[in-house]
Order: sequence, then C-alpha cells, then structure tokens
Amino acid sequence: MHHAFKLEENEYNLELSRGPAGYRLHLADRTIPVNLHLEDDGSAVLTVNGRSEKVLVATRGDDVFIHLGGVAYQLRYEHPLQRLAAQAQGSAEDHVRAPMPGSLVALHAKPGQTVARGESLLVMESMKMETTIAAPRDGVVESVHFAIGQTFDRDALLLSLVAAIVEGKKS
Amino acid sequence: MKRLESKLNTASAEFQANAAHNRKLAEAFKAMQHKVRHERPERDIQRLKAQDKMFVRERLKQLLDPGTPFLELSSLAANEAYEGDVPGAGVVTGIGVVSGREVMINAGDASVKGGAWYPLSVKKTVRALDVAIENRLPVVHLCDSAGGFLPLQAELFADKYYAGRIFRNQCMLSKMGVQQVAIVLGHCTAGGAYVPGLSDYNVIVRGTGAIFLAGPPLVKAATGEEVTVDELGGCDMHTSISGTADYPASSEEEAIAIARDIVAQFKRPDKTRTEWLPPEAPFYDPAELYGVLPRDIKQGFDIREVIARLVDGSRFHEYQPAYGKTLICGYAHLWGYKIGILANNGVLFNDSALKGAHFIQLCNQNRTPILFLQNITGFMVGKEYEQRGITKDGAKMIMAVSNSEVPKFTVMCNGSFGAGNYGMSGRAFDSRFLFSWPQSQISVMGAEQAANTLADVKIRQLARHGKQLTADDVAAIRDPVVAEFKRKSSAYYSTSEIWDDGILDPVDTRNALGIAISAALNTPIGDPRYGIFRM
Amino acid sequence: MKPTTNSVPDPAVLEATRSRAASWPFRSVLIANRGEIAVRILRTVQTLGLEGVVVYHAADRKAPAVQMADQAIEITGATPVAAYLDAKQILAAAKSSGAGAIHPGYGFLSENAGFARAVAEAGLVFVGPTPEQIELMGDKVRARAFVEKGGFPVAPSAIEDDDPATFAERALKVPFPLLIKPAAGGGGKGMRIVREPGQLKAELERARSEGQRYFGDGRLYVERYIENPRHIEVQVLGDAHGNVVHLFERECSVQRRFQKIVEETPSPALSPELRKRICETAAGIAREAGYRNAGTVEFIFGAGGAPGTGNGAGNPEFYFLEMNTRLQVEHPVTEMITGKDLVLEQLRVAAGEKLGFTQEQVTSSGHSIEFRIYAEDASRGYTPTTGPVLVLRPPQGEGVRVDSGIVEGQDVTAAFDPMLAKLIVTGRDRTEAIARADKALAEYALLGCITNTAFLRRLLNHQAFVDGAVHTGFLDAHPEIAAQPELTPATLHKLLAASALMTKPMRDVADLVPDMHAAIGSWSN
Repeated sequence: MHHAFKLEENEYNLELSRGPAGYRLHLADRTIPVNLHLEDDGSAVLTVNGRSEKVLVATRGDDVFIHLGGVAYQLRYEHPLQRLAAQAQGSAEDHVRAPMPGSLVALHAKPGQTVARGESLLVMESMKMETTIAAPRDGVVESVHFAIGQTFDRDALLLSLVAAIVEGKKS
Repeated sequence: MKRLESKLNTASAEFQANAAHNRKLAEAFKAMQHKVRHERPERDIQRLKAQDKMFVRERLKQLLDPGTPFLELSSLAANEAYEGDVPGAGVVTGIGVVSGREVMINAGDASVKGGAWYPLSVKKTVRALDVAIENRLPVVHLCDSAGGFLPLQAELFADKYYAGRIFRNQCMLSKMGVQQVAIVLGHCTAGGAYVPGLSDYNVIVRGTGAIFLAGPPLVKAATGEEVTVDELGGCDMHTSISGTADYPASSEEEAIAIARDIVAQFKRPDKTRTEWLPPEAPFYDPAELYGVLPRDIKQGFDIREVIARLVDGSRFHEYQPAYGKTLICGYAHLWGYKIGILANNGVLFNDSALKGAHFIQLCNQNRTPILFLQNITGFMVGKEYEQRGITKDGAKMIMAVSNSEVPKFTVMCNGSFGAGNYGMSGRAFDSRFLFSWPQSQISVMGAEQAANTLADVKIRQLARHGKQLTADDVAAIRDPVVAEFKRKSSAYYSTSEIWDDGILDPVDTRNALGIAISAALNTPIGDPRYGIFRM
Repeated sequence: MKPTTNSVPDPAVLEATRSRAASWPFRSVLIANRGEIAVRILRTVQTLGLEGVVVYHAADRKAPAVQMADQAIEITGATPVAAYLDAKQILAAAKSSGAGAIHPGYGFLSENAGFARAVAEAGLVFVGPTPEQIELMGDKVRARAFVEKGGFPVAPSAIEDDDPATFAERALKVPFPLLIKPAAGGGGKGMRIVREPGQLKAELERARSEGQRYFGDGRLYVERYIENPRHIEVQVLGDAHGNVVHLFERECSVQRRFQKIVEETPSPALSPELRKRICETAAGIAREAGYRNAGTVEFIFGAGGAPGTGNGAGNPEFYFLEMNTRLQVEHPVTEMITGKDLVLEQLRVAAGEKLGFTQEQVTSSGHSIEFRIYAEDASRGYTPTTGPVLVLRPPQGEGVRVDSGIVEGQDVTAAFDPMLAKLIVTGRDRTEAIARADKALAEYALLGCITNTAFLRRLLNHQAFVDGAVHTGFLDAHPEIAAQPELTPATLHKLLAASALMTKPMRDVADLVPDMHAAIGSWSN
C-alpha cells in the first residue's frame, strides 16, 4: 500500500490495478472492481462494484475534486516517494502550515532561532481576524517561507522547524 | 481449430475417486507450501521485529504491482534437505510484475537461519539468474543474507555452479543489457557484497543495510582496526562517500518504493512476435484435471483430457492424428500464445519418436514455442524395436529437442522414466521452465523394476557362490531399494533438489505457463539449426 | 402550462422602460463593483439598451462581468479591494468611458456619502440616494433618533453617557429582559443578559469591570433583550418625487458570524397583520426620510408566540435596527415574488422618473429563498477556501435563478469577500421552494474550491428550517449542521475509486501491467 489520498484529516492507503475489464481498487480490507469513463460533456460515469453513477471530476496538481451525490469533495494524492520521504524527514510537526488562506502580518521568529513549544511563531490574517501560529514543538526555525504582506492558500508551508539537538539513530 | 471432445465421464465413480485423491494431494502440497512460506519459529519472527525488518513476504507484497500474478519458483526447494530446517532454501525467487515490467525476484529470507546461504540456496539463486539470462528478465535483488553457511562451505563455494556463479550470472546479465536493481535490507558481507555491487542500481536502508567485504569483527581480527557497522559500510557512507550504493532510504518501505521507481525507468523489452490470438478460457474446467489423473501411476489415461483443460477454448489442432499415436502432437493457444504440444499417450515407439522429431522441427520452422507434457515410461525395448532402430529414432528426437531454438516448457504430468525423460525435454535439455505435478515421479526406471533388477543381480551373485535366497532374504534386499527409489523419484525430492522450477497444483498450470511463455518471449528466437540426425 | 414563478421584469414594463430610456440623462452606466452584482446590474443595464461599463482589478480579469461589459477599465490598488474603493480612479474611468451614471452595487462605495457627492460634482448621476440620506442612515445613533422621533418602534434602551447619574434608574424602566453592553465594546465581549430587575445592580457592576478589563472603558448601555431574535427587513423604493412603496419583507435570520446565508420571502414568522404592520412601518420610515432609491429597513423581531416559531408566549415585537441605502445582496427574492426588477427601478428613479406603480399595484406571489454560495468550509468554522474554478455547473430548471460572478478558469482567492454566487429558488409555496432548492443545491457543482453547498443542503433539510423556526443564533445553537457528516464506507470507496482513477501515477501503475498479467490478477502458485 504505497499510494495514499488525504481527505479532511484522514489518510487512506490504496492501490489501483487493471483487470480483464476495468480496474480494481485495493484497500486494506478489500478489493473492489471500479471504472471511470469520461464523457464528452466533461462529466464522468463512475462504476464501483458494478453500480454506475454520474459524477464530475477535476484535478489540479495532486488535488482531486469530485462532485458526487450532490456534494463536492477534495482529496489530495500523496505520491509514495514523497510520503515516505516526508515520514523519514520527521513528523508533520516540523512543517508549520497555514490553517486557512490569508496573509502574513507579523513574524516573531527568524531562521536559526530556538523556539519552545507554544511560542508564537507568526501572526496571519484571514477574514479580518488575526490568528497566532504557535510552535507545535520545541525546535529550531529552519526557514520561513513567506514575507510580511504575502498571501497564501490553506496548507501552504509557512515555516519549517528542525530538531534542536541532532537526533541519534532513528528509534 | 476445433474443440477437443472430452470422453471423460465426470459422474463416474472412477473420476470421483481420482478427483478426491488428487485434490487431497494438491491440498497437502498447498499446506506444505504455506508452512514453508509463512511458518517460522517465534524467535526468528521476534528477531526480525527487533531489527525493524519486514518479513520477506511483506517485502514482496510491497514491491510487486498490486493485482498482478507472482510465479514463485521452487517454493519447496531444500524441503527434503538439511532436516527440513531451511524452508525454501532460505531464498524466494520468482517472476513478478514491478512497475509494469516482468522481473525476476531474488529475495533473501532472513527469517531462515539469518538468510545464510546453503548449497541449495546457491543452486536456487543460480537457477533464478539462469532463468533471468535465458529470458532476459530484469532482476530485483532483495539482499538480506548472513553470508555462506560455513559448515557446508565446500558444497557451495568453489565449483562451477556454486556461489561464484551468482556473480558471474549478474555480470552476464549486465553485459546483455538486462538491468538489475538491488535493495540492501540487511548486511551484505563478503561475496554477498557483490550482489549490490554488480547491480546496475542499488538502494540501501539507513540503519539496517550495510555492505562490506568483511564485517567489524573480522576487520578487528585482521588489522586491529575498530570500526562501527555504519562507518564501515552503512547507508550514508556508501551513498555519499564510496559510491558503492546509489540511493539512501530511511525505511524498508521507502527503499522498496525507490526500487519500484528505478524499475519504472527500465526500458521495456521488445517481445518476440509469435502467433497470438485473444485469450479464451478452456472450455473444460481445469479443476477436472484432478479427476483425469489416475490414482495409480501405472494406469494410463488420455493426455488429450489434460490438453483440453490447459489450452484456450480447449481447442487443439492435432498433427498426424493416425500415426505414432502414443505421442500426441499438435497446436493450441495458451493465454493467447500459440504453442506446439508434445504429450505422451503411452510408450514411445519408432513412429512416435519420428513424429515427435518431425513436429519439433515444424515448431522451429514456424517459431512456435513448445510445451512438453510428460507421462512417459520410456522408449519401447525389445528385439523387434531395436531392429527397427528404436535407439536411432530416439536419438533423432533427442537431437531435435536439444537443438530446438524455440523456447521449451515442460510439465511433469505423471511418470517420467528412462530416456523418455530426455526425449520429452527433461531438466538437462534446457526447457525454459519445468514444473511438476504433485503425484509425478522421475527416475531412470520404475521403483519396482529397479528393485527387481538389483535383487536379481544379488541373487545371481549369491547363486554363483552356491547360495540360495529365501523369500525373506529377497524382500530384505528389495524393500529398502524400493523405499529409497520411491523417495527419490517423488516430485517432492525432485523439487527439493531443484530438478524442476517447482511443484504446481495442476489447476495453476495454465497461469504458470502463460507467465512463463510471456517471459520467454523477451528473448529473440534464433534460426533452426541441428546436428546430425542418424538416419 | 403557466410558469409557477414570475418573470422578472414584466416584459411589458421592460419594453416601455426601454423606449423611455432612450431619453434618460445617461446612456451609459459604470458599475463600480465586481462579482455577481456587477453581472446582475450589467444585465439590466444592457437589457434596457444602455451601455454597461465596468472597472476591474487585475485579479478579476477573467471575471464574467469583465467579459460581458461593453467597456472594461482596469483599476489598480495596493490591494485588490483598495482598487474598488478608489473613488478617484473610478470617476476617471467614468469620464474616460463616457459613462453618465455610476451604479455602486452593494459594499465598497455604495454607502459612502463622499463618493455620492463626488459623483454628483463630476456631473454624473449616482444610482442611489442623496448624500444626506446616506449620511443620516449611516450614522446609527442619528438614524435611531430620527426613527424614534418619527414615532416608529426602536428597541427601548438607556445610555449611561446621556446622564450617568440616572443611568441605573433609567435602565430599570427598559422592559426586561435586558442586555448590558459595554459602550466601547464589540464582538460580544462583556455583554450580560439580565432577566430579573433585582439582579440589575450586581450585573451592571460586573459588566463595568469586564468592560474595564477588556476595553479599558467601563461605560455601559442597556437595551431590551430579545430572546432568539429574528432578522426581518423590508424592501422599500422611493423616487425623487416623494413617492415611496414597500416591496414586502425578507427574512434573513439564518446567519453565521453576523453575516446572512439564507434569505427568504415571505417570512414564515409573520401573520398577515404583522406583515402589513412591519411593511408599512418600513415604508413610513422611508417616507419620513424622503427616501429616493431602493433601500432596506432592517428590524429585529421577537416572535413572542407568533405562529410556528416555538418561541414561547408573549407578544410579537419588532424594532428598527438600521436602514441600508443601497441595493441589497438578497434583493432577488423580492424580485421573484413581486416581478419587479429592482435594478431597473433604481435606474428609473435615478433618471428622475416617477415610480411606475402604486403600493396597491405591488403584489406578492409564491415563495422565494436565496442561498449565498460562499467559498468557505463550514466544518472549519466557516473559514474561507481558495482555489481555481476547474468545473462549474450551476443548476438549471424551473424556479431556479443563479446570480453568479464566477466562470470556469477563474481563481477564487482570499483577496475578496468569499461570496461567489447566489442561488435563488422560487416555488408556489415554501414547501415547493425548499424541494427545488434541495435539488438545485445538489446539482450545483463547483470543483477546485470547496463551497458551502453541502452545508446549505444540511441546513435546508434541518427540521427547524423546514418549520421556519429559525433565529439569528440558530447556527450557533446547532453546530451539527456545520460539522462534516461522517462518510459512509460506500461513499468513501467511490471517492477513492474516482481519485485513484484520476491520478496519473496510480493509473500508470495499473496501465503498464501487460494485458495477460492484468487479466490473471492477484494470483500466485
């Protein structure tokens, strides 16, 4: 199970394979026959377990957008090499991301600075409200990726932390 | 091509009894295979866990493309050697699909004696690399071996087909342009270091992977130098300083993902074009093979009933249907690929041998791979047949088999005795793949015949000294011989010694052959050329 | 079959107005706005045979209004919003384009008296009220005093600053329950509800110390507190000749973070008598102000036992809140039930014409609901979302109107308000409107940027909404509506299947497998 998609906060591992007709979706606990046929009008017919329905799908980069059953969903593809390399490079806590789209209004930390968990790193503005982003753990600021006044999307990497002490062998 | 018409009465008591018998044999085989693949002493499982290593089967699952077949080779190798302590000879080999490419897998199994190489481990590995050479299959090596098993070093180190052959074969593959990637998941020490060293690409896992000619203890003993594993041959040293390894990985999962991406860069082979039609499942259910095979190996059966349960649509074009009827020859398609089939329907006579030699030449002429289905007690003996030249007719067939340029595939369906084994492309005749069914037997002659022959020799010796043997004396001579013959002629012994590429449940034969044929077509087929046919 | 909804505007009215428009003092209208309202205004302007001019910031280059306009003039600013607030550039654009009138839409400069004045000084027609009217209604204290003076209902209150010595005494005269607010406050901080006169003194002390702590200012005021209040507003229209009519009310109680999400008319909370009273009150206020243009008088409404509201016993009450001197976001629901094109009426009034109808000629038929389509994630506290508009399929069908400011290929950014479009659904009655809305929201597909359509469907199908029993605190009281519902395994499987099949690296892995191996599948010997 190398490939994964993120939907909201959950990560789902899965694989896709081709069968004699259509494809198979391999999940941790089951394999399901699936297919997707793109129509000329831009819609698509999704078949899962032999049942077909009309959906709208679009992709942009690693994001997949699906309108299904009257609801729009957004999933993000995680390429195995990226996902595994990221796992190796430390936890998600090393990457401070934007909780919502907005702009940077104040910066309280600079690269090389040692910060403690809970310490304010920066202040962003969204919807006319200021939000303070605090350090998720103790560490050293490796880099800051935006300058004051710049705008960003949700999940944008704002700031990177590294461990304060060089860790020994991975436990 | 018309459909074969089965004459089998599947409702008959005979069919039912056969089916029950053979199904039980297949189940016993599967149970044994399951044990060899998955059951390990608790301490070995715990040791892997402590080392943060995946079990070899888990590694394979991650490496292979999802929803694709894996044709494992010689799963029961060494099952009758080393007191059964080295399941699968401590190596997993087979043909799988990685990033859409058919590849040979050569994976050390560190749960078996720390992955130590036994003589049969070496034989199995060499065979896998021979298969890779013959079929131009890229190789993925999963390296996790403690090195050669020292107490048996004399039987695995120096001879032509011993451990050196592994590295020689790697070099041959490289020269042929058949690519290899090695994933270093454990220590690759001494000779083992050359597996990644001779691969075109290699990936090494930080922490658990290491490559060196001698480990820290040996270095200390030899030169007094004190050095850690990581300094001596760890991931970061080799990927950043020595250049012995190419890609660092932080986990086995990542290493495997990187290796998959490397294989995705391999040039895909230009398959040899042979006749092909869209595949069609056999009309007759392959599961009926259980009812086709007799319970007693001496009992005959129509091999066309077997063909009907292997080939596409059960369709068969029979060549010379009225001549040399103990050898069935003809064309069929299997998973779409056109093949020629030679299948025994009794002892080989002069006419059947001539028909076989002729048909092999036809297949070479029209570039059709050949499938041999063995159920043979040998060439016919006796004055009449010798006068008709049974030896020279058999020689013609062997000459044609040996010099065949088209890929050959052999299935030991039932008996394989005497020179019949040779004429029907036995192990020595370089079939690309050779598989055995669980109840099949191989020996120079039948066990009973052999025992009687040996007993007769003894009786005559004693008679010359004026001694008479009682029935008990004769039995005392015969019985151990029969027992030993039976053991060594069984498919389990054959597969333990790697005389074949594994035992197959008969119902798996079609898929196994499909994968084998597809692999074989990676290699171009040469123009037919033979030696002298004794006329 | 007769359509079940009005056509807006009435074709006869449109035809007559078109011919008169030929002699209006302006032949070209500049729209000083963006998004859906720019499109909405352009549509009427162009239907009347006038020229439509828009100004736009570069971030809106691909916006439909820019594509639709007869002239589009780029304006710049420190931020995109700043560009649309830059009166100087807009007036220059009006001059250079030859526009004779400026329609400000809503937001931006629409209630800026200075701008209205500058427009007039530039010799252009401002499609809106007089600067004085904007100033009056823009000052909440003045507006309240004006309304109170006219004898219209305002919430009883007592302001400490008026006379600190008598504050507590005056506060006791306000009918209970009361709400104490810090004079310097905002955002709900330091507010206290007092239900019993006996508690007033103690609560005033507490509120004062909280105000001191939060704002460094302990001054207070109290006003009548209405439990579960509803927001009801009335559309009015006045001309320069002293004529004022109302076009019935709109209920806008469903709000999040003090912003309206769903608006409908008629209000399910009003009896016919109440409806008449509140609408006439609004028209009276507008008349008192000599109001010119389309405007909205907002009321806070306490049902106090009105039918179907479940708010307990008591007498219904409503108080003047404020008056908006512009076209309202939610104006389309009024258009749908009255058949009047409010932009057309605004232009007519701006051109100096008299209203074309009397109060008696304004009728209401059917039920109309507007849903604001926001680029926001309700489950994350209604935080805005951004992204490219990759696929856009607005719903269609009878009774379905979409006022949209986006097209495929555009980017939704954090630069502007997150409202992308409005879905206006009309039926013969509320039940039909709700059923049509549910279908339309389900069909409303926008891919590339998460919107609130699924949330709106959950809201729409909530029993309290179906019953019409909502109030301004409704969404806070029902956080489950905003929460992302648990995915069923079947839905999850479909999503993962579609995603995997749309993701090239995954599809490549599957497609590269040779046919036979793919057909054999997960087999091993």
